[in-house]
Amino acid sequence: MAGQSDPSLSMFSAAEVEFLAEDEMVEIVPNLNMDTLNLICGDFGPFRPQMATSVPLWLAVALKKRGKCTIRSPQWMSVENLTQVLEAERDSPAQFQPLPFHYVEISRLLFDNARDDIPDMYMARSLIEDIRDVRFHKFETGLEKISSSTHVVKLKNLSAMEVNIVRPFFVRALQAFAKHDSPQMIHHQQDAMSSRQTHVQDDGPRRDLRRR
Amino acid sequence: MSRYFDIDDIIMEDEHSAVFFKVGANGVGLLDPSAETNRVEQGSRVELPFWLANELYLRQAVSVNVPPCFNLKTRREIQADAACVDLRSRCPYFYELGCKVAPLIGDKTIGSFLLYAFMNRFKDILSKAHSAAFAVAPRFLPLLTKEEMQLYEAACSSMTGFKKWRVGGSRFEKASILGKKKRSSE
Repeated sequence: MAGQSDPSLSMFSAAEVEFLAEDEMVEIVPNLNMDTLNLICGDFGPFRPQMATSVPLWLAVALKKRGKCTIRSPQWMSVENLTQVLEAERDSPAQFQPLPFHYVEISRLLFDNARDDIPDMYMARSLIEDIRDVRFHKFETGLEKISSSTHVVKLKNLSAMEVNIVRPFFVRALQAFAKHDSPQMIHHQQDAMSSRQTHVQDDGPRRDLRRR
Repeated sequence: MSRYFDIDDIIMEDEHSAVFFKVGANGVGLLDPSAETNRVEQGSRVELPFWLANELYLRQAVSVNVPPCFNLKTRREIQADAACVDLRSRCPYFYELGCKVAPLIGDKTIGSFLLYAFMNRFKDILSKAHSAAFAVAPRFLPLLTKEEMQLYEAACSSMTGFKKWRVGGSRFEKASILGKKKRSSE
């Protein structure tokens, strides 16, 4: 489970993030008759043939594997929407486009299990890979900008899997920067005579959400 | 105190640095290879490991010099091009040692020097750690200190974990004992 192998990393494995992603709701079109499922997490159903219902992804994949339903591709996974998102990602080098939090995991699960339900599967797949690459590259270029004065880094619209990949590295890097910066502050205070230096000292505990 | 059991900390403290004895010391002639009798004279220059130098400094018996890895030559090289300097051959615990030694020597510029070095190396090397192809990686790996190596490995392992997951495959791992055929004992 998270962090057992190396407690200093406290990382989720990719499979665990996928497990968390399976709680997302998707639309399915069942082809069976079934009464309402009363589960702890909620009630789903009743399932009538050709009547679309909304179920969690894990349930949708389970039904699909048994051939009891077809999964409707989510709105954001249409080729037009993905092309738009890709263009927007390429055009804005500093911002990440809003995408569903678990888009990587959802898309992988759907591609693996519901190939025939997604129109233009290969196109969508390659678009998602491209989007992922562009976002990751943006993150890397942003990495080079963090410096010793960064206390907090705000990354909007980063998805779960991307966060999970960069988490151990990023946390360690920020720790290393903080460690190297603190004796610096002491030295500044010791040989500084102007009040400007002490003002720099005061900036320390303030929460600054702008990435410098 | 939390670093007492840290193995990296222990190994790091074994790095040598030159000290000047402020007082004479009896019975420790081993420390100074040029001592004829079994004592160290006042004012003699001896190479001691850091943990010993630290303790003697606290007892005000020695004054500590700058360790060889922070001398002018290294500083010039780092200012020229930080990313290409082979810090591991000089001192695999470059940053840690610098942080510990700084209060001992009274050299205020070590902190900013370390920060400068780390920032530049980080920009060049470590921000590409995630996507480093296998062929590119070994080129600069031997240059990294222990701490940088840890950062790099953290990035690598999370990336490979993700790639392995992406390829897909069954989520269940069959226990190896199930694969063995049952031998019927008739």
